Amino acid sequence: MSTAAGAAAAVATSAAGYLTRRAAQKERVRILYRRALKDTLNWAVHRHLFYQDASDLRERFEANKHVEDLDTIDRLIADAEASYNKWRHPDPYIVPWAPGGSKFTRNPTPPSGIEIIYDYGREDND
Amino acid sequence: MAMRAAILRHIRLPARAQTLAGPRSREWSLPGSSASRSMSSHGDDHLTKEEVVERVLAVVKSFPKVDPATVSPDVHFQNDLGLDSLDNVEIVMALEEEFKLEIPDLEADKIDSCRLAIEYIYNHPMAG
Repeated sequence: MSTAAGAAAAVATSAAGYLTRRAAQKERVRILYRRALKDTLNWAVHRHLFYQDASDLRERFEANKHVEDLDTIDRLIADAEASYNKWRHPDPYIVPWAPGGSKFTRNPTPPSGIEIIYDYGREDND
Repeated sequence: MAMRAAILRHIRLPARAQTLAGPRSREWSLPGSSASRSMSSHGDDHLTKEEVVERVLAVVKSFPKVDPATVSPDVHFQNDLGLDSLDNVEIVMALEEEFKLEIPDLEADKIDSCRLAIEYIYNHPMAG
């Protein structure tokens, strides 16, 4: 999961399949870390609590940093994703204009064929 | 009762006299202010490039694992600043919070350097 461990393992067994599997695992780990960090922010809103929980999360990721075996890594990632799914916040903070946020499609742009005729009250009487 | 009305009339008069003198003494001299809407805040929410660079560098410099003197707009997070891939994720999250953006996971994974971050944020329509 760290670049140093990846480079050392690549020198030892330079099979392309191994590298692509490691790269895919690294991407899964990064995306998982990103989602877990956002979830931590959802649960621990106050910043001092969030910093505490974020460092704990980072410790948990760093503890498995130097694992070399592909299957162990896969199993660790699957376990971590399961625990992430278990701990997801029911009402996460989403930026208002993004899908799921409060301003999403609040004022959609009207379809192009529609025109508004500004009469300002000059109706059929005139 | 009549005295009260008289007093009120008397008190009201000076105020009216002042408002007559007021607008004439103030010259409305802003050029083109009658054509343009001078107090409207419409359309000023597009960030300038300098502002984006300024704020991105401020966020990266305030990261505890980064030495502020080495940060420049062309710096690469992992190669130049010696950060980890997880630190990269943390920086992208901090940038999302700073600019009130929501970056999709796969896009956020690709943001590797200050240059990319500045480009992405500058070209994002909803960057705040």
